[in-house]
Parts: sequence; structure tokens; C-alpha cells
Amino acid sequence: MKGYREYFLNKLLWFLVTFVCAFILNFILPRLMPGDPVAGIVSHIAQGMTNTTGVQAIYQQYADLFGTNRPIIEQFFIYMRNVFHGDFGFSFSQYPRTVAETLKSAIWWTIGLQFPAIIVGWLIGNVLGALAAYLKKGFDNLLMPISIFLSNFPTFGMAIILLVIFGVGLKWFPTSGGYGFDLIPTFTWKFIWTVITHYQMPFWSIVLIAIGGQAIGMRSMSIYELNADYVKYSRFLGIKDRKIVGYVFRNAMLPQVTGLALSIGTMVGGALVAEIIFSYPGLGTTLLHGILGQDYPLISASSLIITMMVLVSMFLIEILYGVIDPRIKAAQSE
Amino acid sequence: MKRTTFLLSVVLALSMLLAACQPAPTPAPAATEAPTAAPTAAPTPSAAEIAGSLPRNETMYFNGEQWNPVVCWNPYASNCNNAMTIAQQDSARVTMFETPYVYNMLDGKVYPLLADGPFAWDAGLTKITFKLKATAHWSDGTPVTAEDVAYTWATHLKYNDATGASNKDYIADIVATDALTVVVKAKLDSATGKALNPLVVAAYLSSNYVNQKAWTQTLEARAGGDATKFLADKAEDVVYSGPYHYFYVDDTKVVLIRDDNYWGKDASMFGKLPTPKYLAHTIFKDNAAGSVALAQGEVDVSQQFNSNIQVLWVNYALPVSTYLPAAPYGIGASLPTAFYNPNSYGLDQPAVRKAIAMAVDYPTIIANAMTNQSATFDQVPRSLMNPTPGEQALYDHAAVASLQWAGNDIAGAMALLDAAGITDTNGDGWREYNGQTLHYVATCPNGWSDWQAAIEVVAAAGKKIGIDITSNYPEWGVYQTVVTSWKALSTTQGYDIFMMWSDGAGPTQPWSRIRHLLSSEFAKTETNWNGNWSGYANPDADKLIKEIPTLTDPAKIKAAYTELVRIYLTDVPSFTLMYRPQAFHAVNESVWTGFPHQDDGSKPPIPPLDCIDGWSIACLYNVHLVTP
Repeated sequence: MKGYREYFLNKLLWFLVTFVCAFILNFILPRLMPGDPVAGIVSHIAQGMTNTTGVQAIYQQYADLFGTNRPIIEQFFIYMRNVFHGDFGFSFSQYPRTVAETLKSAIWWTIGLQFPAIIVGWLIGNVLGALAAYLKKGFDNLLMPISIFLSNFPTFGMAIILLVIFGVGLKWFPTSGGYGFDLIPTFTWKFIWTVITHYQMPFWSIVLIAIGGQAIGMRSMSIYELNADYVKYSRFLGIKDRKIVGYVFRNAMLPQVTGLALSIGTMVGGALVAEIIFSYPGLGTTLLHGILGQDYPLISASSLIITMMVLVSMFLIEILYGVIDPRIKAAQSE
Repeated sequence: MKRTTFLLSVVLALSMLLAACQPAPTPAPAATEAPTAAPTAAPTPSAAEIAGSLPRNETMYFNGEQWNPVVCWNPYASNCNNAMTIAQQDSARVTMFETPYVYNMLDGKVYPLLADGPFAWDAGLTKITFKLKATAHWSDGTPVTAEDVAYTWATHLKYNDATGASNKDYIADIVATDALTVVVKAKLDSATGKALNPLVVAAYLSSNYVNQKAWTQTLEARAGGDATKFLADKAEDVVYSGPYHYFYVDDTKVVLIRDDNYWGKDASMFGKLPTPKYLAHTIFKDNAAGSVALAQGEVDVSQQFNSNIQVLWVNYALPVSTYLPAAPYGIGASLPTAFYNPNSYGLDQPAVRKAIAMAVDYPTIIANAMTNQSATFDQVPRSLMNPTPGEQALYDHAAVASLQWAGNDIAGAMALLDAAGITDTNGDGWREYNGQTLHYVATCPNGWSDWQAAIEVVAAAGKKIGIDITSNYPEWGVYQTVVTSWKALSTTQGYDIFMMWSDGAGPTQPWSRIRHLLSSEFAKTETNWNGNWSGYANPDADKLIKEIPTLTDPAKIKAAYTELVRIYLTDVPSFTLMYRPQAFHAVNESVWTGFPHQDDGSKPPIPPLDCIDGWSIACLYNVHLVTP
């Protein structure tokens, strides 16, 4: 138990150090981008304005409001104070909306799309990869080329193919939006059904790509484990094949679990391609517009959330590793 | 684990299959639709009360206006991103908020909306007087008064918002002389005693909303006198005078609902309510998604660039149409322009500037960048005017014919350079000016595909005449920072040739466009969102630009504009690359018909501005169901 506590505290310390560094970088990096965000905001307002003094007055108002004309160190301390009070400030690109409001309106669409897609893609891909390694021959010969094809397929290409075939051609699924274009969200079967139909193509465009990559990874790890000495030794001992396979896949799963944690951690970054091709609501395009519009508060908040989710999921995985595989804990505690 | 995966897969596959078996979400066939109920003064239903569904035969769908979620309903704010209701511009959007007059880009006139009859300047050209309609009232039932107009202006000034900052140099005050009479006092020229700029003063009346005084005071009380809070207020309780108002918004759509108590149904205005009960705008993520929805009948009115729009009716026989039946499909209004940076070596030479402009293959730009949704320079010779008949009549075509060019004139461009002594002296294939090779980078923002296509053609033109032009596409965030700063343009990082926009059609045009292209008041300034990014300065042009708004003799006005065109085509500080419509306007007539088309017999003609801007709002009273 003492070894495990040391392992836990060691991990916690490193994750805290990483968080502090990430927090500082989250603030600094967006502000290192060339360009002036206030000029971009003024560009929308100034069109049609008739005089230079008026435009300059508007520019000054927004520079004062967003604090972009203050020294960067002062901006950092204001940002830090506000963040610790849970206030990410106004979104530059969607002012007078706050960052919290902007994220809140889009994040549920993103989680609703990304989380099931990641889990399903991961589960199907790993099962198929493990089966290919175990069954070999015909199944492997069929699965491998398909997996390589799918995993190397550009996401936008898959999305467009689904759109053209199932949306435009066969008209099985709607081509855009999160729900029926002629509906207002209400808790009715009609509305729920359109949410399901609109969900299908963005969902499968992510899942199909994920399946291929996961299957290849799992297959390689499983083949490696199946040929490991402990497997051969177990067979000599006469341990049942079913039992051995259980050990094999538990060991082969470790890197895949890390990959899963990273995917879940970064999922709030949004499924940009699916969102654009299918005009599906979500954080991906919100964040893209934020980056293009140099919306520092929105970028910093989004990347901070992603950072925290990755750190938390990685931390949990590391702790879980200590339980799953005592060798890791032992090695780390030395 | 395997069992769980299998079950999950089966459930998802089944849901996909079931979804596929469901009828495709095509618009309801018009033949089965019930007739539109006659508008009544029934209370407005809430979003929940209509059971979550917008009746197709009562809803008109739009795209291309709204690209991000609505953030507020405050008519004093400039960044509500509320494209279906707030746009104080040349042809102001008058769905929810209204202006005293509305502009018609087709005939160049303004028509009374809240106002009663035409406005009048006094003999000394110092003030405008107009009356409000006695029948006009706010959504809370109280009348629209002259005091509302005066208080709106005072509020713009008090909080120095975009309208106040933009007009305070020209408007001295707006006062109410009785309940319905408004006097707009112009700032006067100390030398002449007349309005400094009568055009801008008059344009205020068709470009800016009248807001209710009582509601404005409520907003002020809520903001506690803080200008930032005042302009950032979401104003969900706003009182309005227009025919539509807030119904539902989220990240995917905006829906407005008709106010059946709208004052405009009075015989003094439209005599009836607008036909669609709901105006809905789906928020698409890009043009491609919007085009697919237009083709599928999920959009009735499209204000976005639909590439090769004619394919929809020529190849697919869809009931889609544009204002004009053939290319250029719409009415060009603005002039996307390439600007020269005179700080770049050799671009201070008019011969170089004009030679590049003459060599550009404009038909290719128009075909590639605009898929022929622009008039060519053979059809509408270049000047400073847009293609509308009103502006074209404002200059003497014959007087400047020898200066105009339609493009692809490689021989002419090379001759011009040769005559100026700008030749290839070292035999490397590129021309030199005073021994230095002419090399430029043509730039526009990344992702602006029509502009990028144009820039590529400009680069190709340079190569044809021995000037090395390459292209560069920085992100908009970087691009706008450089272009709007003369300091940045003066450094080695400054762009050589770059694209920006020009004004469209409006009550101050073409004067305002010309001012923004040529006036030295914007030259070499910082935070320059107005224009003249080439830093051009010509006292003769400045004099004419200052003079034109005060001229009343049509012959003198025409002579002044002709001279400005002559100056522009001679000095070429920038050059027009294409004509672009004020708003793209394509309609799918599967459900609604009666949209504006050329020669549709409407009097006054209804402009193709998506049925929501300026006089084009009249379209909403003309449309009817394909199958009632």
C-alpha cells in the first residue's frame, strides 16, 4: 500500500506541474498569433461608417473593453484571477456572449456525437483486431486490407462519400443540421426521431475511420502477445486456451486504453470535419471561428478544458495501470 | 466485452436501418398543404405551443445571412450577429426594427416606411423635415412618435455607438417639433452656411432604426449609465415596430414570427400583413451545405454564393431561379477591388499599375471566381460605378471610353511598359524599373475562394507581361491587421497587391464608394476600415469628392463624376476585378412563389435583396403559396 501511495503522489505532483505549464501556455500561445483581434471585430462594425474618427473611437472602445491594449503580464493576472472565479470572460467573436455561454450551447452536441463514436469505434475496432489476430487466415486477410483502407481514409472524404450516397443519392438521411429543419426542439417522438436520423451520418463518418485504426493497433499488439514466452509456457502447462486468450488481450489492451483516454480527453475539441460537412452543431466550428477570429478567451478556455480533460483521464489511466499491471507501479516507484 | 460490443453494434445498426426506412426529409408536397389561414390578430403562440413543428406552408426559409448563433436583440449594439433582424446599412433590414424610409437600389429612390410622405430640405439646405405616419405603432401598442426619433439619435450620441460615431460629424441634432414632425438639423459648412454633407444626412433616414424612447430609457436604467453595459445588453425585452419578432433561436436556427398586430397592415402602408407567418433561417456551416439545402427545397430564399447556380434548373430541372434568368443572374452592386501598395518598388509608377490591370483576364475571373454571376467589363465598362442603370447614367461614357479596358490586353500592357522605359534589360525574362526587377506578391485572405481565384488570375497576368507576381494567402486575422494599418503596409511585410471590398448600392452612392476609393482623408491612416488602402492622394479628386454632395444641378454632378472616373482610370491606384451583387438572391419556388424577378411588373420594382432589406421587404407581401 505504501508503494501505491508513493506512486499516486508522484503522479499527482507531475500532473500538477504539467497543469501549471499548460495553464501558462494556454494563455500565452493564442496571444502570440500575428494579428489584432479587435481590428477583426471593428471590421464588422466599421463597414458603412463614414469617417475615420468614428472607426478609431469604436476600435478604442473595444480595445479598452477586452483589455488587449494592456501589458500582457497584467492581462495574465486578470485572466488568472477570473479563471479561478470560474469566469472566462467575454468571447471576442461572439460578444456580448460570454465564453461560458458559447461553450455551453455547443458542448453537449459535441459530447453527444464524440463520446459514443469514440467508444463504439474503440470497442468494435479492438474486438475486430483481436479476432483477426486470434482467428488469422481468412478473417485476418479480409479485415486487414479493409482496416488499412479505412484508417488511412481522410475523414472529410468519408464524410463526403456518406453525404453523397446516403444523403443526396439515396436520401436515407438528412444532409445537414442536428435535427429537422422545420422543427423546434420539444420532447416529442417526432423531434427525437429527427435527432436520431441527423445523428447517423456524422456518427458513422467518425466511427468507420476509428474502427480501422483501432483494429490495426489491437491486431499488432495481440499478435505480439500471442507469441510471448508466457503464452507458450502457459500452453506447456496445459492452461485452457480461453484463459490464455483472456491474459493476452488484457495485456494487449494497455496501449489501446491509453489511446482511448487521450481520445476522450480531446473530444471536446469537436469533430470539425463532421460538423462542417453535415452542418452539425458543436464546438469544433465554434473553436475554429474562435481561432480564426483570434478569440483569445474562447481559445484559452477551450484548450484549458481539453488540457484538464486529458490530464484527468491520463491521471485516472495511470492510477488504473498501477492496479491493472503491478509491473508499472513497481517500475515507477523505484 | 464481446457481447456488449455486439449488442451495441446491433442497436446502432438497427437505428441506422430504421432511420433509413423513414421517408426522406423532403419538403411536404405543396398539393397536400392546407391553405394559409388569413392573418388574424390572434395572440402569438409560443414555440412550445406549436408542438415543435413549423408549418411548411406558413414558413419561409432563408440561408446565407446568419452564419453563427444570435447573441442579442439590441438595436443599439453593432455585434448582435442577429442577421435576420439587425442591419443598419444602405438598404436597412426592416423585419423587426424600422427606418423612417427604405431605399430601393433599383430606382435609387427612398420610400416612406414609418415616415408619412417624402422628406423635404429647407431652402437654405440646412435641415430636413419629415412627418411620421399617425398609424405607426410599437409592438406594445403605443404610437411611434417624433420624440422616439429624436431620443434614438440622442442615445446614439450619448453612448457613442457606431451610428453616433459615424454621423455626428454631419448631423447637428434631431428634434421633434410636434408628436409626428421630425427635424434633422445638419452640421453646416462655415463657408457656405449649407449642410456639410446633405447626402449623409438624408441617408441617415433610410439607414438607421427608430427605437422606442420608453424602452431605451428602460435599457438605460438597467445599464445604470454604463455605456459598455448599455451596448452589451441582450435586449430580449426590446420593443419594436416591424412585422416580425423573436420566436426561437439556438445554435442551428433562428425563427421569427409575424406580429399580427403590425401597424403596416393599415391602408396607409401595405394594407395587409406579410404572407409568411414564420421566417426561419437555418445556420449552415458553409456554402456547400446551404446549396444542398436549397436544392432539396429546405431553403426558399438563398443569400449565399451558390456556385454554378444555373445547374439547379438547367441540369436538374429544379424550380430554382435568380433575379435575372441568365448570367449574370443578379444585379451587381459592389466592386471587389485590387489595391496597389505604392510603397512597393515600382508600384508608384502609373504605367506599372495600369499595365497589370490591363493584362488581367477578367472573363476568367468572372467565370472561375463568380461562376459568371457578375457582368463582364465588356457588358459594363469599368468606371467607379456599379452596373445599376442609375449609377451608369451618372457619367459620360464616351468621355472616358479611351481610358477603359476590358482585360487580356497583353500587347497594350507591354506597349505601355515599353513606352515608360520599363523593360527587361538583363534578359532574365522579367522587367526592371531603374535596374531593379519588378517582383510582387498578390495577397488576399485564405479561404476566400472567389478572391483567391481572382488573385491567381492577377498573378498570371503579371507573368504574361514580364512582371513576376506570386500569390500569398494569410489568414484573415493577419491580413486585416496589415491592410488596415499604413505603418504595416509601409514595412517590408506590407502586401504589394491586395484585395478589399468597396461600397455597394445605397442612397449616398456612388459618391460614398468613390470617396472610399479615392479620398485622401483615409490615405495613410491607422485602423483604416474605410477605404483608399492604396494611400492615394489627389487634390483634384478631393475637391470633387467634397463638392458633389452639395451639388444639385444634374449636369454638374455628371461632369464631376466623369472627371473622377477619368482620374481613377488614369492613375489606377486600384482596379475593379468583378461586379458583385449587393446580396445573392436565389429562390426555390417549390413552396412559395411570387419572388422578385426582372420585369415582374412590380411598381416600384422590388430589388433582389432577399425580401428583408430596404424596399425588398415588399416581396413578403407579394409572395404566395405555389398550391394554396
